[in-house]
Amino acid sequence: MRQLGSWVASACTGFVRACVVVVVSTLVPAIWVAAVALSLWLGGGMWVAALFWAVLGTFAMSRPVCRMFRSLVAKWTGTDIPGGYREPGPVIRLSTGYWWNGFSYERNQRDAHKDQRWRMWLHDPATWRDLRFMAIAPVTAGVVAAVPPAGVAGAVLGLAQPSFVPRVVGVLGLVVAVASAPFAWRPVRPVAVRFLRPSPAMVLADRVDELTAQRADATVAQAAEIRRIERDLHDGAQARLVALGLSLATAEKLMETNPEQAKALLRDARAGAATSLTELRELVRGINPPVLTERGLVDAVRALALDSPLETSVSAEGRLRLDPPIESAVYFGVSELLTNAVKHAHATRARITITRDETGIVVEVEDNGRGGADERPGGGLAGLRRRLAVFDGTLELTSPAGGPTRARMMVPCESL
Amino acid sequence: MRIVVAEDLYLLRDGLVRLLEAYGHEVVATASTGPETLDALRKWRPDVSVIDVRMPPTQSDEGLRAALAARAELPGLPVLILSQHVEQLYARELLADGSGGVGYLLKESVFDADQFVDALERVAAGGTAIDPAVISKLLSSGSSHRRLDQLTEREHSVLSLMAEGLSNQAIAQRLFLSESAVSKYTTSLFGKLGITDDDNSNRRVLAVLTYLNKP
Repeated sequence: MRQLGSWVASACTGFVRACVVVVVSTLVPAIWVAAVALSLWLGGGMWVAALFWAVLGTFAMSRPVCRMFRSLVAKWTGTDIPGGYREPGPVIRLSTGYWWNGFSYERNQRDAHKDQRWRMWLHDPATWRDLRFMAIAPVTAGVVAAVPPAGVAGAVLGLAQPSFVPRVVGVLGLVVAVASAPFAWRPVRPVAVRFLRPSPAMVLADRVDELTAQRADATVAQAAEIRRIERDLHDGAQARLVALGLSLATAEKLMETNPEQAKALLRDARAGAATSLTELRELVRGINPPVLTERGLVDAVRALALDSPLETSVSAEGRLRLDPPIESAVYFGVSELLTNAVKHAHATRARITITRDETGIVVEVEDNGRGGADERPGGGLAGLRRRLAVFDGTLELTSPAGGPTRARMMVPCESL
Repeated sequence: MRIVVAEDLYLLRDGLVRLLEAYGHEVVATASTGPETLDALRKWRPDVSVIDVRMPPTQSDEGLRAALAARAELPGLPVLILSQHVEQLYARELLADGSGGVGYLLKESVFDADQFVDALERVAAGGTAIDPAVISKLLSSGSSHRRLDQLTEREHSVLSLMAEGLSNQAIAQRLFLSESAVSKYTTSLFGKLGITDDDNSNRRVLAVLTYLNKP
């Protein structure tokens, strides 16, 4: 009984969905039918105007109709089909007072936006894909989805007739409608997935945009880093070595006339040498921690955990070695997260797990702090995300107010 | 003392040899790679050796690994590790076997030649010489920090010097105290931490380091 109930329910929803598919996929053909009918009815030279309006209508309708298909498929089957439409670039005002929208110069902002919209639409490969789908949808998903409504229509018409043959046809129509109702709408999913997803060329174009942005980011970050190192060396070690040389030269001069003062200078020189070594060590640690070179990621993270004021446990699978740049990015990521745990979350314990699966390396850092971490643009977490993005890595952060904060870094790598 | 020096940079190796010879010690062999170091340690079984962490052929922790391997074969073989940077991780590995005769210092500790040779002699005698940088990290790291809360400031500084490997006499000199005052502090801090006191100062230092190394 229950089985019958659920079957009736699925038949009913199926019927409704099939009707929706038919309506949506016949929107554009309907325009053409109307245009043909109008030109036949009015006759004469009106067919040119009708054709014009049909073409314009098709262009205007294609994108909204495709959006409807996507949202229907997403709602009914949970399959998300990315649109892959191009994003408009920024419209900027130039010093000449004109507006540049990436394609042309316009006198005012409104025109620039209008022109940009129109050109984006024309240049976007997604537009042509949508138009193609307008032709494909009615003859595939549309035709199949039309079976149940057609069956019902046949039944109504047939059963209304008093004679025998139309009644048989009517009964047959009813059977066909009921039997096909749960399934008839289903082809819409494969058809939409096949013809509405972004083409490989569009995916590649997106990827190129992404990589260009990342490269710009990486270049800027690298330049800043090099400037920092230069400044540190210039103000630190270099200056100290100059002072050291000066002290030694003076000591040499004073050696015979004033040995006591010479000795004092030599002592100062030694202290200066020790200080510059300490500075250089800190600088080196910031560029590339020596323990990372000597032992690889897992032991470097262990060393980091030992030095942290938190009680930190590290669990890892063996001594995996990755490409040095990836190891470095992940190491500094862990370092950043531990620093945040101390500074912002006021945690006392942390747990680090390093695992690898078939796609890459996964590092999780969890603390017992008060949570509520937010990612500010230009902040440490945003920087971490950017450093990982260079390797197609990702950062997942859950940090509810009251804690705990859990961060998960994932970097795909083939060197495993 | 018969000493082996392992260091890949010629200038530093040469300087170390000269320094040690100036203090009347005999450098029996020098090495500049990891495998050479291990061979020299096996062949000469020196009274003490001075070993750099990073050496060819891999430019990773060759020297440290050679030292650990040699000590696994010849337990208690005194080694003093010199490095451009110090890591608690390496200190823990060196101290893990609990047999003493271990030193782990920053390279610039040779600037104070007297103290450096002192440390070397202490290691040769089965003691320890751990860099203050390691000790201060050890004392401030997560787990020990809480356990050391109960110590007074004075006891804290006595403990850190003891952990570096210094004897009561040397601690007294550094802190400008009398030896009896130092032993009073040590008795009270041992009581607070629940470590059994030992008359042998090397064994006592090891007990302190083991205590600090506890996770």
